[in-house]
Amino acid sequence: MIITNNEKVYDKYKDKIKIIFVQGGFKDVLVKTRDKIHEGHELLTHPLSSSVKPNETPFKSVMISDDKRSLNLDSLYIIENSIMTYDNFSKHKFGMMTDQITEDFKLIDLTVLESALNI
Amino acid sequence: MEVNGLKLELGYIFIKDIQFAEKSKVENGTLYVNKEEVKAIILEDQNFKSADVELAKPGESVRIMPVKDVIEPRVKVEGPGGIFPGMVSKVETVGSGKTNVLKGAAVITTGKIVGFQEGIIDMTGPGAEYTPFSQTNNLVLVCEPIESLKQHEHEKALRFAGYKVAMYLGELAKNMTPDQVDTFETPTLVEGIKMYPELPRVAYVCMLQSQGLMHDTYVYGVDAKQTISTLIYPTEMMDGAIVSGNCVSACDKNTTYHHLNNPVVHDLFAEHGKTLNFVGVIITNENVYLADKERSSNWSAKLAEYLGVDGVIVSEEGFGNPDTDLIMNCKKIENKGIKTVLITDEYAGRDGTSQSLADADVRANAVVTGGNANEVIELPPMDKIIGHVEVADVIAGGFDGSLHADGSITAELQVITGATNEMGFNKLSAR
Repeated sequence: MIITNNEKVYDKYKDKIKIIFVQGGFKDVLVKTRDKIHEGHELLTHPLSSSVKPNETPFKSVMISDDKRSLNLDSLYIIENSIMTYDNFSKHKFGMMTDQITEDFKLIDLTVLESALNI
Repeated sequence: MEVNGLKLELGYIFIKDIQFAEKSKVENGTLYVNKEEVKAIILEDQNFKSADVELAKPGESVRIMPVKDVIEPRVKVEGPGGIFPGMVSKVETVGSGKTNVLKGAAVITTGKIVGFQEGIIDMTGPGAEYTPFSQTNNLVLVCEPIESLKQHEHEKALRFAGYKVAMYLGELAKNMTPDQVDTFETPTLVEGIKMYPELPRVAYVCMLQSQGLMHDTYVYGVDAKQTISTLIYPTEMMDGAIVSGNCVSACDKNTTYHHLNNPVVHDLFAEHGKTLNFVGVIITNENVYLADKERSSNWSAKLAEYLGVDGVIVSEEGFGNPDTDLIMNCKKIENKGIKTVLITDEYAGRDGTSQSLADADVRANAVVTGGNANEVIELPPMDKIIGHVEVADVIAGGFDGSLHADGSITAELQVITGATNEMGFNKLSAR
């Protein structure tokens, strides 16, 4: 299952993969992911990007398991750490977001997700 | 005596100046470049509609941005294969024989692949202190893609333009007598492990970023994200077996130049037989999928154990989700009874008080830092900009208003290519 606020990901995969679209920012995706982990879903991709900083890109897509089991502590540890890291970064917001840049950030988020989907 | 294993002689031809000329050649420490021939090499690729080539020398008031990759010109003089095997040379095992190096020269690729950008090299001023490429004589490629070119194709075309031009320059040194020759030799594991029984056996785990567009690394032409951790002779790296396709957040990305000149490898060779026994190199990736992270770190720990080493140096690439790979490597290798030293950098906030990494563990108790990438730096205006200055405001680590009217830039250190390099290539220290 994918949790995303990136329309590019949503439009491409909504008919193929179970997907939750989040109306909101990067942090809203992280919080939604945490809630799903609390329900027993397992985190499948790392919620932090590797280079594009969370206060720089507004878009995030995360993959979690479709099935629910007992609370996965490894998943919980990673998502809590990621939220903490996000909060550190969000003290300084980067600005300047033209339409083209917005589209490029969506594309980068899509390619990072697809690197995990093996597409 | 016949060597089992790999032995490479690196012949350095020191380059002190670079100039355009009618004929490309190397003479008395000057690299002369025929501009039109270089342009023609770039434009062999129909993905480019135009190309320009510029020079940037140490001390000049020049700013290069946005930088994609930096490549050192090298050429195989003796021995199998060619530089950048699997990319622009055949997939032959490299790392033996003789290789000549134009030491002091570099090819730099620039380009706007996406709207947000990264990668500044200042040739003078405070910014120059933070990047090693302010000290090299640079040939800068400014390539304009055709209209319809997709980002992935643009990235690949730029990458190959850099390799091809570096190969072209390297060829100029093929028949030259080097100013200095350094020899690097790695015996087979069986022989190497017996060599210095009194010294600690040490291996190097080199982490390669592998996560998608502008986040990739290639090993003998294979995308590292599709590999599992494996062994490589360190001299293979000196012949370009590992190349960079990643450039987002430029401060802690390993350019191809870094891979060719990996300082961990060079220092381990320098200490080999003196304070330690340098047994080998393990390369491992940094994927997005958590199961991949588990698998790759399992394998690097397993290979370290298999090599029978006492200690391992681990170098990271990037920040954020690779911190998880770093800590997994550390924990799993330590759990095998092998000591680890980690090389990373920090995103500790502008005041340096936040947690430096996105992951941590008590076993990560020996850590070397390349610096705090959030540190704010003022870059004064330069007389000449090579590349695209308008991207400064949307550069990784730039922020609203970071490009001022006079051309100066206020930004975080992460905008500067190689500033907090996690192989320890940096020039500055706190000492």
